[in-house]
Amino acid sequence: MARKTPVLKVTNLKKAFGPVVIVDGFSLDVAAGEAVALTGRNGAGKSTVLRCLVGADRPDEGTVEVNGTRVSETSPEVRRDVATVIDDLDFFPDLSVVEHLDLLARAHGVPDPDAAVDEVLHEVQLVPQSGQLPSTLSSGQLRRLALATAFIRPRKLLVLDEPEQRLDTEGVEWLADRLAAERQRGLAIVMASHDPTLVQKVATRVIRLGDRAEVLADE
Amino acid sequence: MSKKSRKLIRSTPLADEIAAEGDLDAPVEPERTFFFLPEQPPLDVDEGELHALMKLWRHGRATRTIGQVVQDSYVMLFSVVMIGAMIISVVLRAQAGMAGCTTEDCASGRLLVPTAMVLACYAVALGVARLFGPVLASAAEGFWLMDAPISRRRLLRGRLVLPLLLSFLVAGLATALVAALSGLGWLQVLAWSGAAAFGSAGLVSFAAAEQTRERVVVVKALQAVFAAAALAVLLLVVSVAAGWLPVAVLAEAGTIAWVFAVVAALGLVGMVVMLRLTLSRLEEIRRARLVSGGSLVAGMQGAMFALDFGLIRDILVERRMAEKGHVRPTRGRGLGLGALVWRDVERLKRQPSAFLGLGMSLFVPYAVDALRMSPLNPLISGLALVAGLVPFLGSLRVLSRTGGLARTFPFKTAQLRTATMAVPAALALVWGLAATPAFVGIASSGADRSLVNGLSAALITALAGLMGAVRWVTAKKVDYQTPMMATSSGALPPGLIFNLFRGLDMVALITAPLILQLPAYWSLVIGLVVFWALRGSFNMSDLQAEQEQARRELAAAKEGRAAEKQKIPRPGR
Repeated sequence: MARKTPVLKVTNLKKAFGPVVIVDGFSLDVAAGEAVALTGRNGAGKSTVLRCLVGADRPDEGTVEVNGTRVSETSPEVRRDVATVIDDLDFFPDLSVVEHLDLLARAHGVPDPDAAVDEVLHEVQLVPQSGQLPSTLSSGQLRRLALATAFIRPRKLLVLDEPEQRLDTEGVEWLADRLAAERQRGLAIVMASHDPTLVQKVATRVIRLGDRAEVLADE
Repeated sequence: MSKKSRKLIRSTPLADEIAAEGDLDAPVEPERTFFFLPEQPPLDVDEGELHALMKLWRHGRATRTIGQVVQDSYVMLFSVVMIGAMIISVVLRAQAGMAGCTTEDCASGRLLVPTAMVLACYAVALGVARLFGPVLASAAEGFWLMDAPISRRRLLRGRLVLPLLLSFLVAGLATALVAALSGLGWLQVLAWSGAAAFGSAGLVSFAAAEQTRERVVVVKALQAVFAAAALAVLLLVVSVAAGWLPVAVLAEAGTIAWVFAVVAALGLVGMVVMLRLTLSRLEEIRRARLVSGGSLVAGMQGAMFALDFGLIRDILVERRMAEKGHVRPTRGRGLGLGALVWRDVERLKRQPSAFLGLGMSLFVPYAVDALRMSPLNPLISGLALVAGLVPFLGSLRVLSRTGGLARTFPFKTAQLRTATMAVPAALALVWGLAATPAFVGIASSGADRSLVNGLSAALITALAGLMGAVRWVTAKKVDYQTPMMATSSGALPPGLIFNLFRGLDMVALITAPLILQLPAYWSLVIGLVVFWALRGSFNMSDLQAEQEQARRELAAAKEGRAAEKQKIPRPGR
């Protein structure tokens, strides 16, 4: 069956830190409604690939395109289409949980921001913490807030780096269901994960990164 | 360094010596000297011995003796001695010169300026003491030592001495310098600096006593009172210099040095009493309270090594917010960039103390004008405004320090930065309008300059202050991968040096035409160019990446053409 037009197209990606080559010749197409899981041991290059996909790191060679636009971290089109949860997410120290979500919803022009914020807050179970400042949240709550920032806004591609980190068992189950639903609604997802349950529930393709990328499963 | 430590350094084998000993014997099983004995009570621990052991370990890690360090840094030490001697000489001459001034203005300034300094020292001493503890412990001590069955009082009592000593010395020396430069006699200098030194030390010991009870309300209130009093005295100085107050009354009060001598004595007594009280309560201080001060010091030390003052501010803001913990959420307004601007408007209600700083910066142009330093007013006031505006640029700071949060907003970097500058720009505009009388010359010469000139100078100063503040909060971290600069202190990345001047550079650049008496539109043009650059209209790293990509594509195309050329079959003969 012919694949759909890719939302994300990665061609011959190479990234090295000094003499250490992390990934070389990595190519990937992700269409709408597809979810790709990157797996592999620590240091295999999963996070590096994801950082290159969202423009946080610049690849040494190769190209990354989202909907035909060359990825640049500062491009407003890429910022509009790609929602990310990777390690470098920062928060305003003086804005509460609910204010962060409200600000993002309004910045993205969500039609009914109040309702959207309420819904996401309930979903990530941060209603009791809605008035708290980020520095007082636990690491698990911070992870939920980071996920909420991705779910509150319109998106075509979701890039997640080990989204299950610091979540409790219930939280991982919720996340798996949510991501599976997102995929079924036509969202493209690329995630790095060590959690077999999450990968099994969400991914349509699994790529194990190591000495060379290897496709483990493809729907 | 003790003989013991020197011996230890000499006896410590170097890494290459260890590597040379390739044929090491099989590892010897260490003799066990400690067993877990739940049935028996632990032995008594001597905290003094523990400290001595830790000191010995630290010295054991040293790779150079003090003599070697001094030998390496003799140029810097020599420079410090030379510059110190020059400063002292300048102070002595200035003191002699000022003491000769017998006008009423001089007499009132001589009384008021050192008094303001004493009050400011009290406010700063209380603020710093509250921020760090003042009693603190490192994370390692908190984790390893405070878990052990040792006396916390005996472990921590030495920690009280350092903040007291620091506050005593810093307050005493700073006030002595200001008092000497004001032209006070040496006995009066002694009285004022004694009041500052003993009073600050006494207040720090009071803060320590409050720390043992985990109370901050009184310390905060006292800090606010002293800060307000210092500001009031400074306002008095300006009022007297501008001729708005009768100076004779104040000038006659110049003989009240004995009041400050009494304050010094009271400070000494207070310090002793509070010190005894704190010592008796040291056992009760919670470990979390001690370690939080220690981790704050560690974080700030790290930031200081990179001269990253923005990071220091981030650490302090983070800590204040962690203390606050919770806010009453407010609903946003507008969509798109308007939502960001409105959120900044909402933020204004959350930080009333920032307005105090901005208000104090407004006092500077009037003070400079009253001191007849009008030509330098744009530069000095612009720098003061930088300090006043930085607290209002919190969103810009967070959106600039890492790309993560900026990536979540669907706007160009330039749009984001412009939106987050909107509210501070409005505040700078109000500041400029409020400072206009000072630039007209109301405090020095009774408004002898035209309103248009004064207004344009005030607004350009406001623009310079805003751009300085934006530059300060958006500056990138020091890049240690760039080629280093050779200095007398060793190799340093260039960014480390430029960090010292960030903010100052923009103010100097924009206000330079005003100081050089050039037409004001030059400053305006420079200011607009600076604004265009600082809002991120061009992204240097993007440009470099595009250039690199183009270079790679060109090289690949050339290689391809060369390969094609090789394939062309030559006609046979």
